[in-house]
Amino acid sequence: MLFNSYEFILLFVPAVVAVYYALGPAHRQAALSWLIVASLFFYAWWRPFNVLLIAPSIGVNYAVVRLLLRVDDRRPKLSAAAFVAGIAFNLAFLGYFKYRNFFLTVSNDVLDTSFALDALILPLGISFITFQKIALLVDVRAGLVTKVRLRDYALFVLFFPPLIAGPIVHYRELMPQFAVLDGRWRSEDFAVGLTLFFTGLFKKVVFADPIAALINPTWAAVAVGGHPALLQAWAAALGYMLQLYFDFSGYSDMAIGAARLFGVKLPFNFNSPLKATNIIDFWSRWHITLTRFLTFYIFSPMTIALTRRRAAQRLPVVAGRTTTLTAFLVLLAWPTMVTMVLAGVWHGAGYQFLVFGALHGVALVVNHAWRLRRPRWWPSVGTSGLIAELGCWALTFLFVVVAEVFFRATSLGAAFALLQGMTGANGVTLPMALIPHAAPLLEWMGLHAPGVWESGSEFVQVWGWIAAGLIVVLGMPNILEILADHDPALGFKVRPAGRTRLLRAVTWSPAPSWAGLSLVTVLGLLSLGRLSDFLYWHF
Amino acid sequence: MDRTQVLASLSEIMRDVLDDPSVTLTPTTAASDIEGWDSMTNITFVVEVERRFGVKFRTAEIEEMHNVGDMLDMIASKTAA
Repeated sequence: MLFNSYEFILLFVPAVVAVYYALGPAHRQAALSWLIVASLFFYAWWRPFNVLLIAPSIGVNYAVVRLLLRVDDRRPKLSAAAFVAGIAFNLAFLGYFKYRNFFLTVSNDVLDTSFALDALILPLGISFITFQKIALLVDVRAGLVTKVRLRDYALFVLFFPPLIAGPIVHYRELMPQFAVLDGRWRSEDFAVGLTLFFTGLFKKVVFADPIAALINPTWAAVAVGGHPALLQAWAAALGYMLQLYFDFSGYSDMAIGAARLFGVKLPFNFNSPLKATNIIDFWSRWHITLTRFLTFYIFSPMTIALTRRRAAQRLPVVAGRTTTLTAFLVLLAWPTMVTMVLAGVWHGAGYQFLVFGALHGVALVVNHAWRLRRPRWWPSVGTSGLIAELGCWALTFLFVVVAEVFFRATSLGAAFALLQGMTGANGVTLPMALIPHAAPLLEWMGLHAPGVWESGSEFVQVWGWIAAGLIVVLGMPNILEILADHDPALGFKVRPAGRTRLLRAVTWSPAPSWAGLSLVTVLGLLSLGRLSDFLYWHF
Repeated sequence: MDRTQVLASLSEIMRDVLDDPSVTLTPTTAASDIEGWDSMTNITFVVEVERRFGVKFRTAEIEEMHNVGDMLDMIASKTAA
């Protein structure tokens, strides 16, 4: 059941909410069990077989968690073995469904084998579900989680709002909330929840989908060997970046909003990522719960272990401005590359995702090197001030756009074809009416004679949407900031410096003037005509 | 070693790590209060603290320490045992 479908918005959610609050504080246990039943129904809706696929994973994980809690430190070997087996099981589960074909392809390419590729059914949300389970195992082993009961566990792994595509939430974040959940009606939860939910829907159906419709033809063309002209290629790249942001952040808003309808606060996933002024900053604003997961479970343990080993050998470690090159390469560059390449292929099994991850890895390494070295090598180069900040932003933005070409492209070849178009190598096309005006400029830029962009109205639509999208993502506060006075998401706060005049002017409150926001709801619902699924539901 | 002494050595370690003699830590100091104390610096700092005090932190414990006070508590509980 898609979040952006009539049956979800007008039947499923109202029914779940109605029964949940009807049971209320008097039947608290039943209300919580109802959420589990409703979530199972939600998951089974698409393909009932999904439930059967995911059931063994839930069962095995629960068994391992119980075992870890029972044996804890008294029998370290058994505990370690169970932990390793649990992690291996989850990775194998994910690996079989998601990466089997990729490994066979690599083998066919590199070793010249000829394995046949079978189409496997990818259980919905498997990448996200697997991550949450791994996180729980690690947290239990680390002693951060000390009690897990079957019903709590079932609610944690099945709770429908973050089930399919996150935010990736920790057991220790949800459990204290479930423990005090009483089914009592609170108007604030409902107002904030609905506002988030419908803003998310608006982002998806009013921005992401129309932009996608305009740029998909270019992407379809490069997938079959097309060579897009300059402006088409840029429109495809910029449009896709906006589509991905509106789609995934819209989905995340809807998930956070849906959870809030039951009084549950989820962690936030986006914080105006396209305003980032460096790539480290970007990853602290984009898919935040993934960054957090990767830092916590891959990057930090790796770096800590390596730092300990070097420190024990009395070798230099990372130490601000005095960091040596070897320390930097071993302790920062290497773990960063490993983490980001894994992040890339986590998104999808394909070479282009590997390149996407590697590109971001390199960018992060360069960013870290700059941070460590700039104060020593270029002490006079400032990174504050309007011009410097604009330059930093532009560089970051451009890099993100280029890296996302690999994320969207169906193959490496298609990605390079689009990038080639973006360099102007395939010339420029313009609507007939613009050609006479633009000719001198293009000549000055050294681009060859313009062809014709056949439909002038399409040209205006594409660039109009891109301009509108950029104004929204760069010029406006995000919905969490607007709702900041009402705890929109777990741990979300606006720093005093972030309270701009614009934000103060648009800060949300449950006042009549904000009822105008229901227009967002109406527009969102009316735009539901064409159903398209969320990009991240495929991961 | 009492809490004040431990705090003094933490300050000293951080001064070395950041190569900045002006750094002084208090129990309420958090990473965001000190320029250059990012996640990488934190790892170096923590490993240096481990070495100096002969203790070992779990990754989860490192992530759970939100200010210098948390670290003082953690060191106290580990060295007491």
